Amino acid sequence: MRLLDPHFVSKLARLDLKARLVVEGFLTGLHRSPYHGFSVEFAEHRQYMPGDPLRHLDWKVLAKSDRKYLKQYEEETNLRSTLLIDTSASMGYGSRGLTKLDYARQLAAALAYLMLTQNDAVGMFAFASGRGEQIPARSTMGHLRPLLLLLEKIAPGGGTDFAASLHSLAERLTRRGLVVILSDLLDDPDRIAQAIHHFRHRKHEVLVFHILDPLEVSFDFEREAVYVDLESGERITTRPQELRGDYRERIRAWREQMRQFCVEKRADYVPLTTDQPYDRALLEYLSKRARLL
Amino acid sequence: MPTLSFLNPAFLWALPAASLPILIHLLSRRRLPEIRFPTTQFLRALEPREIRRLRLREILLLILRTLALLLLVLAFARPTVTPSGAVTHAAAAVGILLDDSESMAALDDHARPRMEGAVARALAITNAARPGDELYLARATRPGEAESGRARDRVRLKRTIEGVEAQPLPALLQGSLHPLRLALQRSALPARELYLVSDLQRASVTPQARRELIEAAQSGIRVILLPVTEGRTPNHAFLAVDPVIRPGPEGRGLEMRARLGNYADGPSDRLALRVRHGDALIGGGDLNLRAGETRWVSMPLESGVAGQGAIPVIAESDADALPTDDRWYAVLGAPRHLRVLRIAEPRAGAPPPRYAALALDPGGNGASGFAVETTGPNALLELTRTRADVVLLDDVASLSADAEARLKRYVREGGGLVVALGPHADPDYYTRRLFPGLVDLTLAQPERAAEGSTFELRARLPGHPVLEGLTLGVGSSLSQARLSGIMRGRVASQRAEVVVQTTGGLPLVVAAPSVAVFLSSLSDDWGDLPYSGAFVPLVRGLVAHAARAPAGGAGTEPRVGERPFVRLAAAPSGAVVARGPGGYTSPAAVENEGAGFRAVADAPASQPGFYSFEAGGRALATAAVNPDPIESDLDPVPADSLTADAVEPSGAPITAISSRTALETRLNDTRRGRELWLAFLVVVAALLIVEILLGSSRVLAR
Repeated sequence: MRLLDPHFVSKLARLDLKARLVVEGFLTGLHRSPYHGFSVEFAEHRQYMPGDPLRHLDWKVLAKSDRKYLKQYEEETNLRSTLLIDTSASMGYGSRGLTKLDYARQLAAALAYLMLTQNDAVGMFAFASGRGEQIPARSTMGHLRPLLLLLEKIAPGGGTDFAASLHSLAERLTRRGLVVILSDLLDDPDRIAQAIHHFRHRKHEVLVFHILDPLEVSFDFEREAVYVDLESGERITTRPQELRGDYRERIRAWREQMRQFCVEKRADYVPLTTDQPYDRALLEYLSKRARLL
Repeated sequence: MPTLSFLNPAFLWALPAASLPILIHLLSRRRLPEIRFPTTQFLRALEPREIRRLRLREILLLILRTLALLLLVLAFARPTVTPSGAVTHAAAAVGILLDDSESMAALDDHARPRMEGAVARALAITNAARPGDELYLARATRPGEAESGRARDRVRLKRTIEGVEAQPLPALLQGSLHPLRLALQRSALPARELYLVSDLQRASVTPQARRELIEAAQSGIRVILLPVTEGRTPNHAFLAVDPVIRPGPEGRGLEMRARLGNYADGPSDRLALRVRHGDALIGGGDLNLRAGETRWVSMPLESGVAGQGAIPVIAESDADALPTDDRWYAVLGAPRHLRVLRIAEPRAGAPPPRYAALALDPGGNGASGFAVETTGPNALLELTRTRADVVLLDDVASLSADAEARLKRYVREGGGLVVALGPHADPDYYTRRLFPGLVDLTLAQPERAAEGSTFELRARLPGHPVLEGLTLGVGSSLSQARLSGIMRGRVASQRAEVVVQTTGGLPLVVAAPSVAVFLSSLSDDWGDLPYSGAFVPLVRGLVAHAARAPAGGAGTEPRVGERPFVRLAAAPSGAVVARGPGGYTSPAAVENEGAGFRAVADAPASQPGFYSFEAGGRALATAAVNPDPIESDLDPVPADSLTADAVEPSGAPITAISSRTALETRLNDTRRGRELWLAFLVVVAALLIVEILLGSSRVLAR
């Protein structure tokens, strides 16, 4: 499944192509996706396959003909998704040629493409400390282009300020929908929790993709070095092998804390590292969408 | 206070190398790479705790590495620690008394002469000496040389020590220690040490020698005993040979007698004895000796030796630990001649009884081997060794102070003394004045036998030389003689032996070196002893015993170290020359001696052997010279008993060091200090191990 491999996809030049390849590769892999085409307007029947949800089974046909058919509906867009992409300086970190922002960019493109193919309305908000750029949600395929243009334009820089950025966005998003956050969440956890709570308070569904670099998780550095914070510029001299154990424990606890916040706010939390294929993220999205509809 | 010094201080220049770990640490810190990282918030949280841990570990590692390098450099500089009170701080006066007596020729457990070990120890002491030290060397057989033994030329001194060999002479420890002690005491140097390198033979370690050691210690001299052996080494030895050729048992054949001793805690092996005249074997025998036994043994001789006059022979036994005493030189058939000066006082104007004189020299011509001159006590005022071999005090009441002093000096010079008491003798005088220093015997008033009873004579030590010529067992009666009176006496120490006692257990004959005391009368005042068959051998035995010289004295037979002499019946014509083994040649002086003459060589004999006296190319007589058998008992005094002597806390201690290694260690410690380089290297190794463990473990990292 090379089309879902972030490093392979990153070698492709055009973002739209990347998004299409990822999504199509993903859908091909799904093989009769249970998530495809469920809406409110009936379209046709199709034969029941094991694994299909029973709630779409056509009981009347079953009663009449003793055959199992699923009702398929004409899709109707009633889901407004907004992709929130963290463009802070820390997102510019990548240990293997692929930065967290690259990963987030490609994942956002794939998600946008997938959403538009599902006739969902997609908006985008790229934010960093003190700045942000927003594209309102639309459901036409033609809307993909500005989204991809924005994605191509964004670059890492500045600090992350969830309180300011997310709170202001929460205020601006009047219609409830799905908020997908792609970030490394390097901020005060309490403030992040408040921001998620704000979205939840506004009746938004929240899906958090917590993107980290593998080296950021494992801290597999070998020699003593001066570590410079990409956002604050703080310098710490340390010997990785001595700290590694405690560091990993702290990262694990931090991610667990984030997951716990999300569970508490009834948001979905998906921890990702940039070496993980996109299918997991896309599956999570589809699963979330299925629950919403 | 112990002090630290370095034998290779040049290496101390390398001490700055110890700072290498610190420099490397500092330099490596400056070249740290920079890594841009998304956030340092998690590192920051860990940092203070980890930094403390890391810093602690780094500091520990730095300390370990720096210490290791520091100690390594110091180890190369050969650090030494000097214990407080050691003689390293100042030059020392060091006296070495090297025992080169005959017993030092005995073989040790490795079949090497003890002398080798002694010389090695003396060389170790010499090698350890530093510039400025005063070294004194004395030899136990040459007490006269001790005082002048200060050595300035170390190389020569070492050559002298290397050349020291065991001499066939007894050890005169007291005589050697005394001048050595005085020389050390005179030294202006603050530290003084006296090393006694010896086998500490029991016979040599006299009370006087002990006293010398104690006095040395009390005067602040550190006395170090270096015994070269431990425990008694079994040894048998010739002690004497009777020069008289006797008829064999039942009058058949000829035989000679030799006295042998077994100085061992167990019985001897069967000893084969041989008698050689030149290269010809002319007699021999064999015997077994019990543990500690000394015995006269008869050896058959070829009948051809009769009528040949004086025959020089060598009696030999199987060799053992001390080979030099397994051979005895003797001149058989040589007339034995002892000059006895009998002191007797007239009694009520009548001459004193002559029983003793008649027993010794019945013909009055010296044919019996004894020439007796009877005179009054005043003759003692001019007493010399050349005049008499033995003085016999025959029932003398007391002596004047001058006569007494002269007599004591005479005994010290090797003369013999026989004291026969009697009804006229003053027991108080003998107890208080004459006996002290000669024989440890105290007298009480005479005791007379009860009416109708008498004292009988019982042999207490039947093998004693005093009873030579009498066939006796322990407790057997000497004769049918009966004594009616006896001077009650008590022996005060082991140096005096009760040889004969009465039926009531009263001492009758007491023998000490050079001295014999008969506690009854040699006349018929107190019984009928002069008329009994035991009288003549007993009186002769008393005189013969007294004539046997103690160690170092001049006796009836010349010893090694003394001037050889012979007795001559007629005056020689022309100058007399003595020739002996080892190219010995010495002119001899001729002096009158009673009825005959005596030729005495000018130079002392340095080796045992035959010394021939010639005059005008004609042989006059031959003297047999043997070593003093006192050296044959290879029984050492435990060094602990000597170290325990120095009990006074004010003086320096007497210590004993048995092994050569321990001696070298001590010399190093006291002269150069205790070397610590090995300890330093061990610590370096330990530090490096700890460093490796600390560097690789997570003990401090976690």
